[in-house]
Amino acid sequence: MPNYKSDANGSRRAQGGLVSSGFFVLSVIALCLPDPSQDEVASLLRGSLLRPFVLAQEGLVRRSIHAEGTEVLQGRLDSLEAVIANTNTLSEENDRLRGLLTLSNRNPAQYVAASVIRSGTPGSEGMFVLNKGTRDGVTNDSPVIMGRGLLGRVLEAQATRATAMDWTHPQFAVSTMTEDGSIYGMVEANPGRFREADRLLLDGVPFQEELEPGVALVTSGLGGVYPRGIPIGVVIEESDAQEGWKRSYWLRPFVSPGEATHANVLVSNDGELRDANSWSEGGAVVAGPATLPDETDSGTPDTEASTRR
Amino acid sequence: MRPPLRVWGVVGFLILLHFGLHLSLGLGESAPDLLVVALLIAAREVDIGRGAGLGFFLGLLDDAFSVLAFGANTFAMTLVGIGGARTRDLFVGDSLFFLTSYLVLGKWMRDFLHWIAAGEGLRESFVDTMLVQSSISAAYAGVVGLVVIAISGLGWETVR
Repeated sequence: MPNYKSDANGSRRAQGGLVSSGFFVLSVIALCLPDPSQDEVASLLRGSLLRPFVLAQEGLVRRSIHAEGTEVLQGRLDSLEAVIANTNTLSEENDRLRGLLTLSNRNPAQYVAASVIRSGTPGSEGMFVLNKGTRDGVTNDSPVIMGRGLLGRVLEAQATRATAMDWTHPQFAVSTMTEDGSIYGMVEANPGRFREADRLLLDGVPFQEELEPGVALVTSGLGGVYPRGIPIGVVIEESDAQEGWKRSYWLRPFVSPGEATHANVLVSNDGELRDANSWSEGGAVVAGPATLPDETDSGTPDTEASTRR
Repeated sequence: MRPPLRVWGVVGFLILLHFGLHLSLGLGESAPDLLVVALLIAAREVDIGRGAGLGFFLGLLDDAFSVLAFGANTFAMTLVGIGGARTRDLFVGDSLFFLTSYLVLGKWMRDFLHWIAAGEGLRESFVDTMLVQSSISAAYAGVVGLVVIAISGLGWETVR
């Protein structure tokens, strides 16, 4: 430790006090800035000073995916082939029935594969950054989906990046229903004592309706943010937190945010209504999109995976 | 007062290492909070204005990924920078006990200020956040800070 150094010059001391007061006032201003201004400052920092670190993480994620065992990847490929094979028959049936009913085809849902980047800094819990932005069709509120279900949604989309929140975020909420559409409710994040204990709570189920453990829930499409049919999780048990003539249930989500290194973002087709019903058609919840994310992350249109019509 | 270049070198290295570990490698909380270690080390060497400025800058960087609690890190780090610089006028010692307490309390205080500034909506329970998680991370930052001081040769003889 250096010897004790006192600022002999009183005016310098006063100047230091003034400067520190100025920075304190600036920090309070930063705290009270309106949301759009805060987003602008944060975006500016992410796109400039912190960009090399974000790019480095993207590179590392890409390398770790390439290093993943071929047996695991082969297993996933086999599973997807089985899903696609089953879906082809359903697709033909669907087309035929639609033809009989003279219904037009659904708008196909389009997915953009993106890398999930977590900053790991205080205050960013439940948030992540995607390496795809408005140039790839990602918009504010685009749903983010992993292999087995809903991961979260985009909060703010920029040209080449997007900031998103997962279901552990305190502000996460989604309208849900059972797969047959008979029971509706609202799913919200319920923080545990520690982050690992975070889980989902289904609220607002009418008292006369009862859900058995193991019942799968999907997005209802109400609210206009999440399209209908994205798997969310399964009922574990009834919660004690019921109020009035409503029931609440604890859910086990299909997706664990900690596992997310890659995700699919559901993008709209020129503002047209998105449709994710292919996820849950055919009775059981389908375990993922029809094609895998492009792991080479080439940034070409190949990264877009379209589900069947 | 003009801090030695070595101090700025160590601070710069710690900032790069912090974002390298937290952001590039994605280690999250398993990596120590090197930003607050850098700030606490520098704050003992610079005047109060620079301490506040450094805290403001580092807090702003931390806030870049904090959409809903934006400004909480900036607020906390600025106050820690001011407090760290003020301790030079109040405490002259460089004993191991003092340095450990300084680093641990500095980190704990930073988390506490962040907890207050984050707002009620995002705030988790005081016991779990401050008494358990922050105490552990403060001890972690304290140990890492001592190691940094020892190997960087910043002139704090007791630790070396």
